[in-house]
Amino acid sequence: MELCDTPAYELAVLLRQKRTTATEILNSCLARIEAVDGRPGTLEPQPATLPEDAGKVHAFITLMKTHAMQQAQAVDEKLAAGEDPGPLAGIPVTIKDIFCVRGAPATAASRILANFVAPYTATPVTRLEQAGAVVLGKVNLDEFTYGSSNESSAFQPSTRNPWNPERVPGGSSGGSTASVAAGEAPLSLGTDTAGSIRQPAAFCGVVGLKPTYGRVSRYGLIAFASSLDCPGPVARNVTDAALMLQAIAGPDPQDATAANVPVPDYLAVLDEGVRGLRIGLSPDYFRITYPNPETGEMEEQPVPEEMTAAVRRAAKLLAEMGAEIVEDVPMPNTRYGIPAYFVISRVEAASNLHRYDGVKYGYRTPDAQNDLRLMYRRSRGQGFGPQPKLRILMGMYVSAAQYSAQYYNRALKVRSLIRRDFDQVFDRSGRYRLDALLTPTTPTTAFPMAAVYGNSVMMQYADQLTVPANHAGVPGLSFPGGLAADGMPIGLQLLGPDFSEATLLRIARSYELATESDAWRKVKPKVLR
Amino acid sequence: MTDYEVIIGLETHIQLNTVTKIFCSCKADSWFDPPNTNICPVCTGLPGVLPVLNKSAVEKGALLAAAMHAQLRPLSFFDRKNYFYPDLPKGYQISQYDQSLAFGGYLDLPMPASAGRPAYVRHVGIIKLHLEEDAGKTKNVGGERWTDFNRCGVPLVEMVTGPDLRSADEAAQYLIRLRQLLRWIGVSEADMERGQLRCDANVSIRPVGATYLNPKTEIKNVNSIESVRDAILKEVERQIREVEAGHKIEAWTLEWDEDKQVLRKMRSKETEADYRYFREPDLLPIRLTEEWKAEILSALPELPLERRQRFMDAYELPEYDAEILTSERRLSDYFEQAVLAYRGDPKRVSNWLMNEILRMLNERGLTADALRLTPTYLADILRLVDSGQINTSTGKSLVEKVEATGKSPQQIVAEEGLAKVSDDAAIRAVCQEVLSESPKEVEAYRAGKQTLMGWFVGQVMKKMRGKADPTLARQILEELLS
Ligand SMILES: [Zn+2]
Repeated sequence: MELCDTPAYELAVLLRQKRTTATEILNSCLARIEAVDGRPGTLEPQPATLPEDAGKVHAFITLMKTHAMQQAQAVDEKLAAGEDPGPLAGIPVTIKDIFCVRGAPATAASRILANFVAPYTATPVTRLEQAGAVVLGKVNLDEFTYGSSNESSAFQPSTRNPWNPERVPGGSSGGSTASVAAGEAPLSLGTDTAGSIRQPAAFCGVVGLKPTYGRVSRYGLIAFASSLDCPGPVARNVTDAALMLQAIAGPDPQDATAANVPVPDYLAVLDEGVRGLRIGLSPDYFRITYPNPETGEMEEQPVPEEMTAAVRRAAKLLAEMGAEIVEDVPMPNTRYGIPAYFVISRVEAASNLHRYDGVKYGYRTPDAQNDLRLMYRRSRGQGFGPQPKLRILMGMYVSAAQYSAQYYNRALKVRSLIRRDFDQVFDRSGRYRLDALLTPTTPTTAFPMAAVYGNSVMMQYADQLTVPANHAGVPGLSFPGGLAADGMPIGLQLLGPDFSEATLLRIARSYELATESDAWRKVKPKVLR
Repeated sequence: MTDYEVIIGLETHIQLNTVTKIFCSCKADSWFDPPNTNICPVCTGLPGVLPVLNKSAVEKGALLAAAMHAQLRPLSFFDRKNYFYPDLPKGYQISQYDQSLAFGGYLDLPMPASAGRPAYVRHVGIIKLHLEEDAGKTKNVGGERWTDFNRCGVPLVEMVTGPDLRSADEAAQYLIRLRQLLRWIGVSEADMERGQLRCDANVSIRPVGATYLNPKTEIKNVNSIESVRDAILKEVERQIREVEAGHKIEAWTLEWDEDKQVLRKMRSKETEADYRYFREPDLLPIRLTEEWKAEILSALPELPLERRQRFMDAYELPEYDAEILTSERRLSDYFEQAVLAYRGDPKRVSNWLMNEILRMLNERGLTADALRLTPTYLADILRLVDSGQINTSTGKSLVEKVEATGKSPQQIVAEEGLAKVSDDAAIRAVCQEVLSESPKEVEAYRAGKQTLMGWFVGQVMKKMRGKADPTLARQILEELLS
């Protein structure tokens, strides 16, 4: 196995045993990037398409090669000097280009921030660096994280799915999950607002964790919906995800909403098994409810059989290892997750986008010199792509004084109902007393490029099974659960009470062990075959 | 001609005197600093930054609310007020909307007697009191718009009165009392010229006896109490003129031009702007626990108007004295400490304070707590005068000497031999000397010009350089001349 495909926790051991160096690991990753990534995303690629674009991953916007080499060298020097270089020493990590890293562009995959170079570093990135990780570069995403496919990025070509480059990697952390799936880096830092880590993790066959809201600081994360955004790890296996969460979790004096809750030792409990844990299955997570676009009537569709089957098989394996499976757990408000999300996230997004006005930094229109209002309108009109504009329009509409009671305040009520669903089933003295819910991460596997883009309502309904955790603030973990008939990965999701990341990781780790010798585990993504 | 009643409401912005800004650790006051020197990623609204609340701003805001008799909310929230302006780097201001730090409150404003009207009290209600961050400043420089972000994130309390004030004088009095209170409780320097206390005035008129409210105009950009008064007077005149001419008052926003002393129309107020308020998701609610509240309120002193009344009741001071002595907290503390040390007539302490001490404070630009002449020393001086050990003029000169040296009055009296001469023989000798040197005056006195006695005493005092006991000198002189 090449170093770039080796799990992070194994690399850490190899490094300490002096069987490899940080520079060798980095070089292996750089070679992989060279082999599979193709040209990085740019604002106006010339030419717009190249024949060789087709089979490439295009995860990167900014490859920070020199920076990474310096960091790797520093780790090697520390190791040579007998110093402790940190738990993530020499592990290359990619950063979703929605985090600020001092001295590097922070584009948010938008024209409006294409020229913005961050003067400070986001807290989770600082913590990765303090743990010795090597920051390899900034990876692509949907513009301002607004999307589920990566295609809305202003930086094209947008990221492709390493399992099949005709398909989307998912989003918005598609660059993160694709870079990890393709062996360009063992770890990536993503963000999850409605499923933006878990959905692309499922689509790319990797592990993605949305921690409890407040578990990981948001300082330096360019905000989408501040009350929903969660930074979290993307990794190729559960142990690596735990290793990374360990480094980035914890209170932060620069984020008032970062929880003042001690960080447990995630790795210590990882192999404790599932005996005695109560894991629930909910019928509300085996169907998708959506409004008929013509009539507006709510319609229901069961999740495809192969997704359901993957979940049932996982439940069976966990039961065999001693977990108690609880069927028919009611989560009745799941269906309202998306409509409520549409309102809340857009109100916050519209406000968060106010600061991009062409006055202080970022894109400023060249053709309005003497009129402030015109400069605002043109800078924003030319700088934002269609997804931010849609969010601004809707956010402004539903937060207007005459509508906010009808939409925004109502959405907040729905949000507390969704939270109540979780509270009831996780209640220690309640009827269900669950440690976790087991669900499919997504209703489908990765969809073909251009299939859903343009119909943003349908794309958003792909988040129906992930968004409730964001409303409720609870942690959610997506991990690979097999391959579908189309050859694409299936993602399984675990949802737990606040700060139960250790338990979720433990359950997923047990599943990993139980399926270690499954045939699908040997299949590599297409770009690596 | 109709008689009109003037209706005024004041909207004030008070800059709290915290060391750092409300949501970052930049220095709060930038009055003496060049533009864009007290800024950081947080207060300039760079992508990805988050606000972190400065507890001290909450504490000062709560103290002010309590001093205004407002009710503190145990749970209050920050909200975003969304609008575009180049001096507002985030495109929204973090403010408080429907659940602010406090609600209610009032100030009972004593109005002094004036021509044809006895003194009265105006009850001024507070209809809004909340915390918020300040925006920056922009100015036009040769066709360019320049922005200074230093002021972004400076903590403010916005406090709005009801339409309760009835004259320009009342509006000015309100600001005088508010400024006094802010300095008194130590939450703001309240210097209007430095923008630490800002005021917009809403003005309307109506026929006397009417109970409805007419459309009002809003006067902005007034940066002294005098200007507020002048601007309101001008605006009331204008409104009366318009109404008398049969015109309607329109809800304009007016700007006061300090140099030209005129009001200028800034804009017509169309519909109220929609700021799309919603809860600030980046900040937790403010939980004012009973413990925290008690801790904050333990710093709430007796308020100036209360103390003023007490000085009149307990020390039987005239209103004039009580007013001056409570104009500033440290001065009133000084007075009270001196009264306590002196144990004599408080009015006597007041006289000395208002004459000798205030003059010294003004001349040296000091506050009472910075004096080397402590309240105890002042009491010592008064007692020396009372007991006849020194005369009044020596006492007054002692005030300066104690302040200059920091020595106790007793020590200076001893060292400089300032004590009055009460020795009968010494004074008798000088009296005889004076009489033998002034035969004409002695003759005139004996012929009946009794008023010359003062002149004789003066001569004795002059010879003894003020140290003689004048009462004794008079007795001796009368005896010698009889
Ligand atoms: Zn600052």
